Parts: sequence; structure tokens; C-alpha cells
Amino acid sequence: MASSTYLSNPVLTINSVDLTDMCTAATLTYLVEALEDTAFGTNSRSYTAGLVNNEVTLTMYASFAATETYATLFNLVGAKTNVTLTPASGAESATNPKFILTGCYLESLPVINASLGTLSTYDIVFQGGALTLDVTAP
Amino acid sequence: MIYTIASSKLGIVGDPYIPAAGINVEALLSGGFIVKQSTPKPKKPAKTSTEPNEEN
Repeated sequence: MASSTYLSNPVLTINSVDLTDMCTAATLTYLVEALEDTAFGTNSRSYTAGLVNNEVTLTMYASFAATETYATLFNLVGAKTNVTLTPASGAESATNPKFILTGCYLESLPVINASLGTLSTYDIVFQGGALTLDVTAP
Repeated sequence: MIYTIASSKLGIVGDPYIPAAGINVEALLSGGFIVKQSTPKPKKPAKTSTEPNEEN
């Protein structure tokens, strides 16, 4: 049995707007591109760090109501913003760090994503940006 | 520019909003999350008309 687990229930803000209650899936990937630096004389491939290329993928319920997902996201397409994800509600701490992705870019928004008998959702990706951690309670 | 929160998804409605670095303020304005707060113009000082001294 695992000694420490975590039930997914993060807090999400996009451009400062709290959209936790509209989100059903979130993946924040901290990625440092691998650049190959293998040379003759070695028997295994070797890599060194390249550019940081972070990414957040989100699944959100679509809503055209005032100040909901559509109102938040439509004006961010083609622009940079901040996205924050905290593992759980409550104050930020070393065991509940807030991940802040600053200056990430939203390339597209599926404004209509309709399927018979299902709630409409947006699958969106924020690319790039600088990742920092906040472990201090406000 | 001073902004006021207009949506509970951003904070307490009516409170001033100070955007952090990297926040897209134009998108918040367009989405109706914040409104520009009109800064009151400073009152003009009362006119103190001084009659020109007429020398006879």
C-alpha cells in the first residue's frame, strides 16, 4: 500500500479567475527539452538541458454564462496569461504548493464542442511560460 | 489605472483589483470580470475673484 497518496482535487485559476468548479482534468507538465550531446567514444546516448517548455492541458465545462469559461477564455486566445494550480484547497505550503505558470500562451479554443447527450467541454492547452512555486500562505 | 472586481470568480465584488504581473487585464475587462474605476477629479479651488483696485 502506498505510504502517501493524493486525491485529485486541485484549485485552478486562469488569468486570476477561479475556474475550479468548471474543470474536470488538469495536467501541468514541467518540461526541459533534451538536447543530445552524445559524441564518438561513448556507448550510450547522452542529453543536456535545452529550453524549458512547460504546458498545461485542461478539460473544462463549456459555459456561455456571464463570467464563466467562455468569457474567461475567448479573450485569451492568441494572448499570454497566468495559470495557477494548487493540489488542494487551503493555504499554500510546502506540502500544498501553488504552481504558477506565468506568460503561457493559449493558441486555440473549441468554441463549439457539441456531442449528443453529453455536456459540452473545452479541451485547451496553455503552452510555454515560466513556472514558479509559491509555498507561502497569503 | 484603478480597477474594481465585478465577478465573484475573481474576488470580492466591489473590492479594488490590482493585477499581478502577467495578468491579461484587457481580457478581464472584455469578459466583464473587472471594471475601470473612475477616479474622482480633484475639486477646483473656489474662485476668489479680486476686484481690481481702481485708482482714481
